[in-house]
Amino acid sequence: MTAGNAEAASAASATLTVNGLSHWFIDPQSGSTVHALDDINLAIQPGEFITVVGPSGCGKTTLLKILAGFLKPLAGEARVHGSLITKPGRDRGVVFQELAILPWRTVRRNIGHGLEIQKVPKDVRAKKVAELTDLVGLRGFEDHYPHQLSGGMKQRVAVARTWASDPEIILMDEPFAAVDAMTRQTLQEELIRLTVETKKTVFFITHSVEEAVFLGDRVIALAARPGRVKASVQVPVPREGRTWETMTHDPSMAACVEEVLGLVRGEHEATLASESHANADAEQAQET
Amino acid sequence: MTAIPMPVLRTSPWSKVKKYALPIIPFFLLIGVWVSVIAIADPAIGILPRPLKVLQVPFQEDEYWPNVTASLGRLFIGFLVAAVTGVLAGIVAGLSRKFADFIGPLVTAMNAISGIAWIPLAIAWFGIGRGMVVFIVWNGAFFLIFANTVLGVRMVPEVLDRSLQTLGASRLHILRNVTFPGALPHVMSGLRSGLGFGWRAVIAAELVGATSGLGQWIFIAQEFARADIIVAGALTIGVIGLIMDRGLLAPLERRTIERWGLVESSA
Ligand SMILES: Nc1ncnc2c1ncn2[C@@H]1O[C@H](COP(=O)(O)OP(=O)(O)O)[C@@H](O)[C@H]1O
Ligand SMILES: [Mg+2]
Repeated sequence: MTAGNAEAASAASATLTVNGLSHWFIDPQSGSTVHALDDINLAIQPGEFITVVGPSGCGKTTLLKILAGFLKPLAGEARVHGSLITKPGRDRGVVFQELAILPWRTVRRNIGHGLEIQKVPKDVRAKKVAELTDLVGLRGFEDHYPHQLSGGMKQRVAVARTWASDPEIILMDEPFAAVDAMTRQTLQEELIRLTVETKKTVFFITHSVEEAVFLGDRVIALAARPGRVKASVQVPVPREGRTWETMTHDPSMAACVEEVLGLVRGEHEATLASESHANADAEQAQET
Repeated sequence: MTAIPMPVLRTSPWSKVKKYALPIIPFFLLIGVWVSVIAIADPAIGILPRPLKVLQVPFQEDEYWPNVTASLGRLFIGFLVAAVTGVLAGIVAGLSRKFADFIGPLVTAMNAISGIAWIPLAIAWFGIGRGMVVFIVWNGAFFLIFANTVLGVRMVPEVLDRSLQTLGASRLHILRNVTFPGALPHVMSGLRSGLGFGWRAVIAAELVGATSGLGQWIFIAQEFARADIIVAGALTIGVIGLIMDRGLLAPLERRTIERWGLVESSA
């Protein structure tokens, strides 16, 4: 089954659709055109957890910015339930790659910020914040400021804040890239639990194939220069109850990782293996 | 995952003594030099007064306190106007990168002009007295506060703004919860240096442009060869400047900003 046909067939019922989307930048220094995205077609079903994997510089963040409504594509379109995306909206929560929680708000006030904006009554807000604080394992840190937390804890605050405001769709841009490997696995398992419980539609970007296969219902492999969909791979194991323990012992998961790795590795070698490794190393080095 | 404990820096009593007592030593050294010069050279009273004579000025001269309050009053009004206009205009200008670039060179040029240069013109506009001094103070503080506020607004990471947009926040909500608190460290340092420059501007403006105030009093004292008044006035200016900076604005700056972990505490 080719990716294109599957996307077209399921577009009608989809939550998020991307049709013939292309985008390019003019490099300010050289004046040359950087073709970031080329004719991307996607259909993401309600409750589906899509992971997008590709080498760095292949246009992942550009695609997310378009879906979030921060960037207008130069060709093609992106739609939520059939209506064109033109600006950011509460229906699409975003967890950014950079740290995006407010340093001058405590954990409690950061997590409750979306609810505060929605003018949810104080007592309802407090209850929901307490629930999410527990869910992401931050109980006892409610009155801490972000600078008093580790990198992994800050990212949990960001995730909890997005979940608290209850968007239908959640867009995540390499949210765990700057977290140490041990913490990352915990956060990934927590994310599986959280999404299985809340049945959200998730669009999750990563440059790690293992992470993409572990988290996703379906993995979209992107090719670079220009960024385009190389393949869409269904993950053979249901997401319910996935843990790193079971994943490493499941041969079908291992085969899936191999398959995606094969797709992406060709890209790495063809383009910028050294560059993306250098990036991964830099991110490892930032561990907090 | 365990909590990263917050580093609690215990300050021993001795370190407190070191922090507050040691910087007093240079003041005593200066007084020591002063006393020695008098002992060795024995200058005329109109050239260099004795410390004790200077110390008596606040208690013996009836004009001392009225002049202090006149200067402080002008500083207060001028600084208040500069703070309000500088911060408001700075936020508006900072929100647009294009406008900030457009206005930037003018502000730098205005900042470079010593406030004294405007005194003759200010006298022509406002006459001698409070209005003129207030204008010179405003001029001395406004551009500093404005430039720092613009910088502060521009330094707020865009991702904070965007993350709140995805939570459905209004422009006004983002302004109050991201732009202003994010710019606050720079706003505070702008206010701090603005107050310092405003205070200098008061004294400079009063030398020729007022009939009262510390600056005017010092200027007149010269005609009567009252070096004790000149030195007492100068020391008063210094002490008030020190109290305003270290006693008022520096702690305020530290309290708001250090709690957020935005800047390292400078011991
Ligand atoms: N604002 C921009 N101006 C110029 N080039 C850009 C801009 N944003 C992204 N690019 C370029 O577009 C390509 C894709 O970038 P991005 O979407 O950030 O990739 P990824 O997130 O997959 O690492 C890169 O080559 C990048 O240099
Ligand atoms: Mg990216």
